[in-house]
Amino acid sequence: MIERPPHPRLSPPPRHAPLLAIKNLVTAFHTPAGRIPAVDGVSLSIERGRTLGIVGESGCGKSVTAMSVLRLVASPGRIEAGEILFSSGGTTLDLATLPEPAMRSVRGGRIGMIFQEPMTSLNPVFTVGDQIAEAVLLHRRVSREAARARALEMLQLVRLADPRQRLDEYPHQLSGGMRQRVMIAMALACDPELVIADEPTTALDVTIQAQILELLSELRARLGTAIVLITHDLGVVAETCDDVAVMYAGRVVEQAPAAELFARPRHPYTIGLLAARPSPGMKHSGPLCTIPGMVPLPQHFPAGCRFHPRCAYARLPGAESGSGRVVPLPAGELPCNAAVPPLHEVAPGHWVRCFHAESLGPPRSAQEIAAGGLFS
Amino acid sequence: MTAPLVEVEQLQTYFPIRRGLLRRVVGNVQAVDGVSFSIARGKTLGLVGESGCGKTTVGRSILRLVEPTGGRVAFDGLAVRDLRGRDLRNLRRRMQVVFQDPYGSLNPRMTVRALIEEGLIIHGLGSARERVDRVVRAMERTGLSRQALERYPHEFSGGQRQRIAIARALVLEPDFLVLDEPISALDLSIQAQVVNLLIELREQLGLTYLFISHDLSVVEHVSDEVAVMYLGRIVERATAAALYAQPLHPYTLALFSAVPTVDPARRRRRIVLVGDVPSPSNPPRGCRFHPRCPLAESVCREVDPPMVSLPEHAVHCHVAARELARSGGNASVAAATIAALLADRATPPTATLSPG
Repeated sequence: MIERPPHPRLSPPPRHAPLLAIKNLVTAFHTPAGRIPAVDGVSLSIERGRTLGIVGESGCGKSVTAMSVLRLVASPGRIEAGEILFSSGGTTLDLATLPEPAMRSVRGGRIGMIFQEPMTSLNPVFTVGDQIAEAVLLHRRVSREAARARALEMLQLVRLADPRQRLDEYPHQLSGGMRQRVMIAMALACDPELVIADEPTTALDVTIQAQILELLSELRARLGTAIVLITHDLGVVAETCDDVAVMYAGRVVEQAPAAELFARPRHPYTIGLLAARPSPGMKHSGPLCTIPGMVPLPQHFPAGCRFHPRCAYARLPGAESGSGRVVPLPAGELPCNAAVPPLHEVAPGHWVRCFHAESLGPPRSAQEIAAGGLFS
Repeated sequence: MTAPLVEVEQLQTYFPIRRGLLRRVVGNVQAVDGVSFSIARGKTLGLVGESGCGKTTVGRSILRLVEPTGGRVAFDGLAVRDLRGRDLRNLRRRMQVVFQDPYGSLNPRMTVRALIEEGLIIHGLGSARERVDRVVRAMERTGLSRQALERYPHEFSGGQRQRIAIARALVLEPDFLVLDEPISALDLSIQAQVVNLLIELREQLGLTYLFISHDLSVVEHVSDEVAVMYLGRIVERATAAALYAQPLHPYTLALFSAVPTVDPARRRRRIVLVGDVPSPSNPPRGCRFHPRCPLAESVCREVDPPMVSLPEHAVHCHVAARELARSGGNASVAAATIAALLADRATPPTATLSPG
């Protein structure tokens, strides 16, 4: 049983320097229609050798967060504020402001990347071996032969069948799962300390996804690489990550160790997401729980808590909450549409951005919530 | 038990592979190869499987959006494959389809009204005024407001676009809907809304569904019966309750175990299959699953497994057949034995070469 501390702290406890610490990151896109804050004050950290899952629906800012770390945000987007502190080899670099030439040696070197669609991220006119060797040659002072040997070694590491033969094949000759193995081989070729994987299994079938996830966790255990796994699939996160951050509308709304988050979700959005999945055996208990409304577009983010128009617990002065229910606002309490709730700690390591996380009653599992029909 | 609305028998859909100057047929992609099932009126059959297994082709073959190369499809007693011209068009009014991608399936240059009305015009149904009434009624059924009539698809979110696609299918008052991955392109919080809508419509309008999806838990929630496809064949078919409680085919077990879940209590021991799905242009002989099956025996490599039927359950697998015979047809005993066998055999693949 986890006891709640008497006074919730308002900033993460100081630990030994994490591998990557993102602090109040703001990344916005400047379009003719106005400024679009895709990432709006995100703070996250990841320790060496651990896996952090970032989950959320499309447009929540999870990919832009990753792209900001790699400094691959395309114009008209730019990092406007915040720090991205990467501690590597005894020094700490702020990737948010690092000059581009120095950034180039980090990107693909000390930080590897795996993207969703291996067909579009691999170059169709070069062989698999050339592409991996190129990554090695960019970051290491080695001969072509050594780079090619490294490429072969990496293909063996990711357990691609017939690695020697695959080295001279082109991406189109490989299946989706094999291509994703090549992507992983490329990401790991320079011994990165951190790998950022953006939806690495979304384009794959479940049995192939199982192979790739198994491979990723095996490699992490063997090489000690930290992984940031970005996905919309709660199940993938639950099974592969140590820590989870849930994002909604450009902000982190809940963060906790994976086991804690899925056993005792505290943010109404997380609770709603978990309850919206049909769980086996509840077929005849009526319709699925739904979150009303839809994900807001960044140009129309609501004021205050960005989830309040869809939230069953939103407390608003006289107005209606998303569920149509009016919850009276106790004296002295801030209405959900007036102020941004701070991310605060409700249990050790469990952070929630909701004014009412404490008053929602004892934390319950998503299954209980689903069965009880909290959202309807 | 009423007569089935849709009956499919030994359905076969091959796509020719043409090569060379004369475009000679050098082989066939056996997308669907001997699929049989029936769906009773008002019921839902879920069709699951991985990409390339032929589930979409089954749906399209029933609608004759692709021409089957063999087998029999009956819809309300009519032989679908023999219909031509007006008869086929009349039949198509009664069978509609909703596709996966509401971004690709709606013409961006047409207003919502024109999109939904199109089917009525094609089938020559109603006067202009009646058509608008029917369009509005279909929109209301799917939770779209009248204000949306003159707007364009790009003004809507994915979930609302899928509602437009559903309204477009419903306006013709069909009996049967093929739902081809209707929620896969939608955000998680929107998927549940569309699933609830589909179930509500089925109950209100007495619709019959073929629900094609790779999402096993949604299929369980929506379907009365579920069929699992692999490489052009149905490998197992059962009532949703029986299939999920007692999967008998090793592929079904592997598929279920591969789905990541947030609930530790539901987590199955993962059976990681080695390798990829073979090409449907050159399927393996014997049981099509044998190259990836941890339980494959010599008979599996040679002989195509026949169907073994129980009242609520049918499976094509030599091992399952033997276990069912051994347990006197007790599916839960056989399922437990097969699961135990798989847990024993499916040791995690060992690293071939391990450079430091």
